[in-house]
This record gives sequence, C-alpha cells and structure tokens, in this order.
Amino acid sequence: MQTGNFSTEKKSSVIEFIGVSKTYENGTHALEDVNIKINKGEFVFVVGTSGAGKSTFMKLIMREEKPNTGKIFVNGFELSSLSRKKVPLLRRTMGIVFQDFRLIPNLNVFDNVAFAMHIVGASNRDIRKNVSRVLNLVGLGEKARCMPMELSGGEQQRVGLARALVNRPSIIIADEPTGNVDPNMSYEIVELLTEINNRGTTVLMVTHEHQLVRDFNKRVIMIEKGHIIADNQDGGII
Amino acid sequence: MKLQSLRYLTASGLKNVWVNKFMTLASVGTLIACMSIIGMSIILSDNVDKALGSIEKENVVMVYFNDLNSVLYGSQAENFLAGDEDATSTFVDASKVSDDQYLVHNEAEARAVCEEISKLDNIESVEYISKEQGLDGVLASMNPAQAEYFTFLKDEANGNPLSDGARVTMSDLSLFGETLQKIESVQGVSSTQSHGDLAEKISAIKHGVTVAGTWIVSILIIIALVIVSNTIRVTMYNRKLEISIMKAVGATDSFIRLPFLVEGITIGVTSAVISTGLLYFIYKAVLETLKSALSIGQVIPFADFVLRLLILFIAIGVLSGIIGSVIMIGRYLKREGSEFSAL
Repeated sequence: MQTGNFSTEKKSSVIEFIGVSKTYENGTHALEDVNIKINKGEFVFVVGTSGAGKSTFMKLIMREEKPNTGKIFVNGFELSSLSRKKVPLLRRTMGIVFQDFRLIPNLNVFDNVAFAMHIVGASNRDIRKNVSRVLNLVGLGEKARCMPMELSGGEQQRVGLARALVNRPSIIIADEPTGNVDPNMSYEIVELLTEINNRGTTVLMVTHEHQLVRDFNKRVIMIEKGHIIADNQDGGII
Repeated sequence: MKLQSLRYLTASGLKNVWVNKFMTLASVGTLIACMSIIGMSIILSDNVDKALGSIEKENVVMVYFNDLNSVLYGSQAENFLAGDEDATSTFVDASKVSDDQYLVHNEAEARAVCEEISKLDNIESVEYISKEQGLDGVLASMNPAQAEYFTFLKDEANGNPLSDGARVTMSDLSLFGETLQKIESVQGVSSTQSHGDLAEKISAIKHGVTVAGTWIVSILIIIALVIVSNTIRVTMYNRKLEISIMKAVGATDSFIRLPFLVEGITIGVTSAVISTGLLYFIYKAVLETLKSALSIGQVIPFADFVLRLLILFIAIGVLSGIIGSVIMIGRYLKREGSEFSAL
C-alpha cells in the first residue's frame, strides 16, 4: 500500500486534523477549529445530527474539499497542499463504503470488486486471487456471478465493503453503511467492520444509529454545529 | 498507464458501446446525418467544379500567327469566309509582299512560336493548327451548302486565306486577361480570338462554388463536433455514478477518460463507415435517376471520393470522441469533484 512520507511524530496517527476550519462559498461554517487525531488500528464512530458537519469531515479526509485553515494529515499525505494529480494516490490508501452502496449496475459482483483493482493496475492473476479472498471474507463467495439487482440491500453493502477492502487499504471510511439495510443486517455489517478492524485496518464510520454505537462500545466522535463536542473512547457519550 | 490497464479500459470502452446501445444509436444516427450532409456537399461541389472545369477547358484562345496570309488578308479573311464579298476589296496583292514583312514563313517557325507560348505561365496546352486544319474546321462548322461553296478555297490556285495558328488553353481562368496580354506580346503572334467575358464568369462561379462549399462543409463539421461532443457529455452525465465510484476508489482522470475516448472513437469510426456506404448508394441512385432523366454527361465516379470521405469522416469521429471525452469530461471532472454526493 502506497503512503506518503510520515514525519516521526505522526507515526501512530493515520488521520490528524490540526486547527481545521471549513467555510463554504455560500457562507456556511461547516467546521470550526477542529483538532482530532485517529490512530492506526482504531475503530471510530462519527455521530451528529444532520448538517452538523459530518459530511464535511469525511469530504475533507477524502480530499474532496480543502480546508480554509489548518492542516490535515491522512496516511502521510498533507491534504491542504496536496495537488489534484496526487488525490488518486491518497484515495488508493483508503477504502470507501457508501450508504447507497454505489455498485455499477451492469457489472456482476466479481467485476464490481475487481473494478477497484483494475484502477491500481493489478494483474489478472492478483485480481482473481484477491477478489475471491474478499468475497469469501464478506460471505459472498458463492454470489460472485450475480448482478447487483439480484442481491438484498445487506448483500449489496457487503459487495461495497469487499470493494473497499480489496486493495488492502489502511483506512476504511464508511458513510452510514447501515443506513439502507435492515437492523439485523446493520449488526452484521458492523461486525464485519469490527473483524476487519481486528486485522489492523483503521475504521471510521459515520452513523445515525445510536443503539449500534452503544452496543459496539468503540471510540465516538460527536460533531455538532461544526465543532467536536465530544470524543469518547468507549462510546459512553451516547 | 500499465498495458494491463490499457487493455482493460479499451475493452471497457468497447463494452460500453454495447451497454449504452440507445445512446450509441443516437450518437451514430446524429453523426451519420451530419456526415452524409457533409459528404453530399463535397460531392455536389466537386461535380459542379468539374462541370465548370469542362466548360473552362472548351474556352480556348485562338492565336493567329504573323504569316503571309495575315499580311495579305489580315482579319478580313474571316469576314470573307462569313460571306462578306466586299472584304476582298481590302486584300493586298501577294506579289507586292516581301519575306521580311512577316515573321512566320513555314510550319517549323509556327511550331517555334507555339513553343514560346507554351513557356508562358498559366498555359495548360498549346496545339498547333495549320491553316489547312483551320479551313477544315471552318468548313465543318458551316451548313452543307455554304461548305460546298467555299470548298474552292482548298485548291492551291485559289489559296487558303487563313493563317497558321494555335489553340491555347489556360490553367487558371482568373488570370485570363493577364495571360492573353502575354500571348499577344510573343513575337510571331498576329492576333488572338477569345471569349474573355465567359472566362471571367466561369472563374467567378467556380470561386463562388468553392467558397460556398468550404463554408457549408466547415459549418457542418463544427455542428457535427458539437452534437457528438454533447451526446458524449449526456452519456457521461448518465454515468456519473460510475465516474463518482471511479474517483472515490482512486482512479486518475486519464483512467476515467479512456473508456469514453474509446467509446467516442468507436462511434465515430462506425458512423464514418456507415455514412460512406450510405453515400455510395445515394450517389448511385441519384446518378441513375439523373442520367436517364437529364442525360447528364460525365460525373465524378464515387471511387474518387471514397478515400477522401472516409478519412474526413473518421477524422470527424475521432475528433468528436476526443473533444467529448477529454474536454467535456475534463470540465466535469474538475467541476463536479463530489464523490460522496455526486448523485
């Protein structure tokens, strides 16, 4: 996995916000003076009401947006000075899971996952090996040839998870991954993310489901009106 | 970009042509319409040009040499042949003319003058016409009774009043006046006969057809490029889900563009081949109809157009693909930038 040059003091952190503020052109103050550090191997829930700044927080991590002030470090990349050309390199160090799955409808399960490997120029042999491995990991080894529309919501989200995992990223960013699946499946998805986290991958998950956050007892970052109002290591703030 | 990726993206672009078959059909249909109109304009313009060229070629300059007859009869010989009996009253007595009063004494000297004319700029051909050939030509143009009456001129004793001359054609009729002056200034040339007005009119029409044809074709090419680029842009908007996923998982801009480029070029080349084939049948049908109805003479065979049209159409197709995929998608990639909320 390709990463940037980490300075010595940032070795243990994979995401770090230092005095970050973001104001959109329409004047909306999305984030103000955010300071946060997420270490390698952590599982973090990001919670907050709609419009609190969660999406901006995620967009800044993905370098979809740039901060107005402050510095952001992700996997060794300093994002405020990162050129547009290098953004794909940053994104290849992370796996993204979307609330609406975002599977390509005309590709089967295998090809949807393989797609992420083609982007990094992997060989056909590696693609066959790794895609089968992650599909087995998410429990969809038998459904590799199915089309997305033939799968349930939970299964589609697991395909999305497999796609996020296939390039062995150091961070998984999940944007409300349980938002479009039934409650039982929500637990399965988070259990799967926990299993992935146990193997050393850092997981950052945005969610609205407080019960889920309480049950899994992980670090919780709470954002409200653009400020981090709580950062608890054991989920106790909910 | 790795060869592996290149292969995958090319295959992906080709696959997209089929997957987005309705959009492909719309693009191909639009392109065929534009290309066919462009092709028809070119074919029509070339045929008009050729037809005018034929008229142009018939617009010859008759050059008469400064020989004994030109001194004896001058331009009155033609009047005489036209039936003006009085014209003979101005004829000079041959016994009073010495050799140094004229420049062209024999065929060799006449041919030397032809050679001098052929060296001038803008001269396409110079054909030596002896006075005997000239008389045959004049008699052939008369009605039989007149021709029979003037046959006596063929007898050596009566003497052929015409001068040796040359039939001269020019390459560019727009330089007609200028070239005519140069011909008249050649030593040994006595007089010339031409239809300068017609030459200028043909030249003006040819110029007009060329200019109008170029404008029409250029405008249509631009329209074709804009339409196809927009079609590709619509295709791209239809597939913004795919693009947002590509961007989110770390695809570079060139990785995202390449399948669109392959798709655009495939659509362009397919349309080019179909348009060329379609034009062949349209041209054939039009010629069949016109030939029997209007007895139109020589037209340019379609084979002469095939390569030019195919190259032009493929160029339009490829250019549309490039403009659509590189410029339009480039704009979209830079502007949109939304992987979480692109939908």
